[in-house]
Amino acid sequence: MEIESKLLTIGQAAEIIGVSIQTLRRWDNSGKLHSVRKKKTGNRYYQRDGIDEFIRSNSKDLFSLAKVWVTSKSEVELSSTLYCKDSSVFQARLSRLEKDLGEIQRLKETYPLISAIAGEIGNNSFDHNLGNWPDMPGTFFAYNLSKGEIILTDRGQGVLTTLKKARPKLSTHQDALRVAFTEIISGRAPEYRGNGLKFVRNVIATNKISLFFQTGNAQLKIAENSSDLKIGKSNIYLRGCLVLIKF
Amino acid sequence: MIIYLKKFGTTLNSRQFGRESFAAFNPSLQDIKKDEDIIVDFEGVITFTPSWGDEFLNPLFSRFGKRLVLKNTKNPSVQASLKMLEKIYKGNFKIQN
Repeated sequence: MEIESKLLTIGQAAEIIGVSIQTLRRWDNSGKLHSVRKKKTGNRYYQRDGIDEFIRSNSKDLFSLAKVWVTSKSEVELSSTLYCKDSSVFQARLSRLEKDLGEIQRLKETYPLISAIAGEIGNNSFDHNLGNWPDMPGTFFAYNLSKGEIILTDRGQGVLTTLKKARPKLSTHQDALRVAFTEIISGRAPEYRGNGLKFVRNVIATNKISLFFQTGNAQLKIAENSSDLKIGKSNIYLRGCLVLIKF
Repeated sequence: MIIYLKKFGTTLNSRQFGRESFAAFNPSLQDIKKDEDIIVDFEGVITFTPSWGDEFLNPLFSRFGKRLVLKNTKNPSVQASLKMLEKIYKGNFKIQN
């Protein structure tokens, strides 16, 4: 009974991993990801733990997973290994990231900066959406140290909606991103005191770290050792934020 | 008076945590003497962000000004965050290393 309650249908497993049901059937036949069947020819089910483990060990495409999660129209359940439902979970996982980064020789001098910018971006999600999450609260937070990347994503209100409280005249996602990364908001202005993204930009300007940031239909890129913002338009709209830090 | 930040943790991130940390420490400030310096010691801190820093340091900076002294600030995230806060506050911290 206990085991059965943890079984996912093939549809649920497909949504969590971010692939189609057909792909899961193919993976089952090829042995890449085995299903569980209650009867020999019955429906395919999946153990929740097995799916989590599969995601962890196939983390080469974390960014795609994050993109699927943030762009899906309705809430998609997310593996607990990728999901921080509140800021205390995020804080604990940030400490873990800090420890893991600290063990990488080439990052000996700079790893506190990487965890600091991840911390600022992740906490923006919680600080600016507290009590106002449009649907699923929390962040997708994952990293692949061998690829040198950190992915942070939320299904929140996005930068434009948040910034409009302080700058009502802002009308496009592109402008909102530019303001968020360039203009210092007064230290004690009411409602909005987010200067975290300016900090992120300053850190990237003098370090081997690059950034991709999408909110709404606006995409921003900052190359390593640069403070130049390349802001463009995406064909895909997403309400919250999708961020990739590379180091 | 010396405030050892590592007593709050090595990952000092987020406004909420910064606010909670300051609120926890605030009662101790009642014991401060009139001309005494407030020394904030960053030794042992690994990750330090402007959000946490703003919530903790801004009330101290506003109240004590040049009596606020920062120590052991060599960590790059501490350096970068302090630089950011100085820009926002339009003033410099007194740093003793």
